[in-house]
Amino acid sequence: MMRALKNTLASLCAGYVVLAAHGQEAAAVREKLANSILAEGAEQQKLVAELGDTGSKLVRDVLIAWTRDSVLLYDTNGTKIPVLLEDQTDADGKARAISIADGKFLLDDKKQELRFSPTDLNSVDTDAVLRTVIQQTLDTLALADPDPDARENAVLKLGNSQKIKNIPILQARLAKETDLTVRRDIHEAIAMLQLADADPKIQIAAAQQLAALKSIGSLDMVKSLAESKTAPPEVVQAAKRAVETIGIHIGAVNFFGTIFRGLSLGSILLVVALGLAITFGLMGIINMAHGEMIAIGAYTTYVVQNLFGSGFAFSVNLPFSLFGHPLGFGLHLPGMNAAGWFYESYFLFALPLSFVMAALAGLVLERSVIRFLYRRPLESLLATWGVSLVMQQLFRMVFGANNVQVSSPRWLLGHFTVNDISLGYNRVFVIGFAVLIVIGTWLLLTKTPLGLLIRAVMQNRDMASCMGVRTTRVNMMTFAFGSGLAGLAGAFLSQIGNVGPSLGQSYIVDSFMTVVVGGVGSIVGTVYSAVGIGTSDQVLQQVTGSPVTGKIVVLVCIILFLQWKPGGLFSIRSRSLD
Amino acid sequence: MRRKSSNVEIWVVLAVALFVIIVLPCLNAFTADTSGLHVSNFTITIYGKYLCYAMLAISVDLLWGYTGLLSLGQALFFALGGYMMGMYLMRMIGDLGQYHQPIPDFLVFLGWSTLPTFWKPFASFPFAMLMAVLLPGTLAGIFGYLAFRSRIRGVYFSILTQALTYAACLLFFRNSLLLGGNNGFTDFKFVLGHDIREPGTQRDLFIASGIALLLVYLFCKWLTTTKLGKVQRAIRDSENRVMFSGYSTANFKLFIFVLASIIASLAGVLYVPQVGIINPSEMSTDKSLEAVVWVAVGGRGTLVGPIIGAFAVNAMKSWATRAYPDLWLIFLGTMFILVTVFMPKGIVGLPAQLRGVYKKFTVKKIKAEPAVADAGDAIEPAKSK
Repeated sequence: MMRALKNTLASLCAGYVVLAAHGQEAAAVREKLANSILAEGAEQQKLVAELGDTGSKLVRDVLIAWTRDSVLLYDTNGTKIPVLLEDQTDADGKARAISIADGKFLLDDKKQELRFSPTDLNSVDTDAVLRTVIQQTLDTLALADPDPDARENAVLKLGNSQKIKNIPILQARLAKETDLTVRRDIHEAIAMLQLADADPKIQIAAAQQLAALKSIGSLDMVKSLAESKTAPPEVVQAAKRAVETIGIHIGAVNFFGTIFRGLSLGSILLVVALGLAITFGLMGIINMAHGEMIAIGAYTTYVVQNLFGSGFAFSVNLPFSLFGHPLGFGLHLPGMNAAGWFYESYFLFALPLSFVMAALAGLVLERSVIRFLYRRPLESLLATWGVSLVMQQLFRMVFGANNVQVSSPRWLLGHFTVNDISLGYNRVFVIGFAVLIVIGTWLLLTKTPLGLLIRAVMQNRDMASCMGVRTTRVNMMTFAFGSGLAGLAGAFLSQIGNVGPSLGQSYIVDSFMTVVVGGVGSIVGTVYSAVGIGTSDQVLQQVTGSPVTGKIVVLVCIILFLQWKPGGLFSIRSRSLD
Repeated sequence: MRRKSSNVEIWVVLAVALFVIIVLPCLNAFTADTSGLHVSNFTITIYGKYLCYAMLAISVDLLWGYTGLLSLGQALFFALGGYMMGMYLMRMIGDLGQYHQPIPDFLVFLGWSTLPTFWKPFASFPFAMLMAVLLPGTLAGIFGYLAFRSRIRGVYFSILTQALTYAACLLFFRNSLLLGGNNGFTDFKFVLGHDIREPGTQRDLFIASGIALLLVYLFCKWLTTTKLGKVQRAIRDSENRVMFSGYSTANFKLFIFVLASIIASLAGVLYVPQVGIINPSEMSTDKSLEAVVWVAVGGRGTLVGPIIGAFAVNAMKSWATRAYPDLWLIFLGTMFILVTVFMPKGIVGLPAQLRGVYKKFTVKKIKAEPAVADAGDAIEPAKSK
């Protein structure tokens, strides 16, 4: 109830703004509107119905106000002026009046603005017939909205209205409509309304039409017709056929939707696991801090976003003091307070930066800890776990223990629909981006001198060293590159999930699994296994009906899969032991 | 030399055990609260917890230090044992719960009016204990069989056990498993007919943990001297050579894996009545890794190392979480990095390592061996404990 009231107020409010702003533009429309309000009986109904052709938002707002008895009449010396009262009232509960005919405030003889309370003036009467006409005019107006999405909504509303008398309105619009999607919707809506027609032939035609359109929205209606006891048998037959066709279509939509979500999840896994495939697969380092590299990428995106906005600041106080001065550190970066497209483009800057930041962190990690552990892979697992603990705590101290808000740029929001399958822009972007990253990594490893050195060192570090390759440098570069990829993945995850201190933890097990299943040391294997695990995860979630069960089944399947192929999908064959 | 130091170690351990099992409980029970010698109930509970952690650490060490299998699933077996004990304790609550129903509160909450079938036998303590041995043992058996048969070793074994733990953790978080969901079990009332909150009961549990730890220690000590123990260490050092010598390494590893899972499970059984709660967060991979930290800090490849490590790290944790709650994880992480990189033999190996460094600096002229400490000498410093 309260919400309805609020909406009413909001729409009225919007009405006044329009009244005030576009006063001159729509003088003709205003004239018509005022005339129709002042007219009587059949004449009035005709005038109101004609208003439907104007397509004006002003007309819509005034008509809505009219049905709510908010259009008032101001009577001076026998001349009646239809007015609306302003939303803003003064201390006495009185408001200025706006004349509908010219959109100006009513003035008295001394050019003073007149003020009224709603009870001072009489409202314009409406009767049942007029209300119906007004409603139809409103529907026609909605159908004439310049925005195709708004038109679609209006069509949908009429289609679900179950009132046969709406058919002519829709047909009138169909004659004028140029947008293909909206035309299709109108056909669908008309067919849905015709289902309730008295003539069985029309009903059958409507059911066939809906089946041909594969209309998901009409399924309930067609179903109730198919189960109807009173309808003629041939109508029921046609409805049943329509239900069947639509059911098949829904199945297909769900299937492809699941595949699409699986692909996008697989792409995320792929981007996350690719960095790991390089540090773990190629270098043999178990980097448990890989998840924190992801978090670095995500937090970099967050900081960049804030720099484009109002700035970024933090301060941390340590529980120690030095000569009486409390120790702590902090940073304040002023923001650029950008707006519009420039602010929206922050993500494009965040992407390379998150790569660089994570790569730098990887470089430091490699130099300070990992270089001692190249011959002790098990120990690298333990030491990097220590690093991951430290980093998580640092995130908590700098960014707080709660998730931070990263808003997606507008061009990553929304979705488009292909054959009823909705494809989110961010998911499509993730898939495209994953493809780019894989190609980039592949090119780097196979076509560049650095790639050649990396592969040489990974195959046999000692031999490469003997041949004059500076292995420590190559190690550094490789590890930084792997970490950088993790940072990129983090920039992405910030767009589709929460960013918090333990962001990386939720992906670390999955990404290790991906690399192991794909075959350690094989980039191609990682691609296959990421897409495979992502898709089967989504499919199993659908089948078992719960995300957790699906995940458990996937993990068990992976363990069993390794029985069959212990080396993963693409294991590198070698005669060497250990 | 080696045999002698080994004997010394056993005597020291026995003396410490005597102190822990007899003297501490006596000081708790028979001295006045105000006396300087008094050991508080709080201390008894805390140390009881550490004793269980030490058992868990020994099970990790048996796998990692002696066989070269870094299992990240020990917390899972620990928690499984805890859950079996927890189920028994939940049955012992009877109708004293919040809802005064004859079934555990969370089942009432989930809309059950009668006990699910698999809950019924847990009213019996022997059955619960049997399950605490069988369930982790079977799980370890199946998983180990699959893993070792396909020769999964090294880091792959670690990653797989981590995944197993992760999957189990997700599973136990579900309410539909009927094991309390993410709240787990708590609010226990009685164990074996005694009120669980009585200081006397806690003291008995402490003594039981001490005895269990001593027995596990002695058993493992004996095990490492047998031929099996030798094969075990040989597998750690070079599995392929052992295999080429005609040993079926998979069977040896499977045996150790199952044994370690049962030891971890028993630790869990003793742990739950002392801390009074068990929930799925106990079986997260982080807990497994924490247990690995204890072993690494204490010194792997020895049996006193894990015990020292479990006590040292947890005592430090108790202190640091109170003194510097924000920095505790940074302490733990840094300590872990430093220990792994610079002290591969942990606290127990530190004196030998220092001696090696000392030698390197003083006796430079002799073509000295690399500063690798002799494992036999490494045990000696335990005397000072």
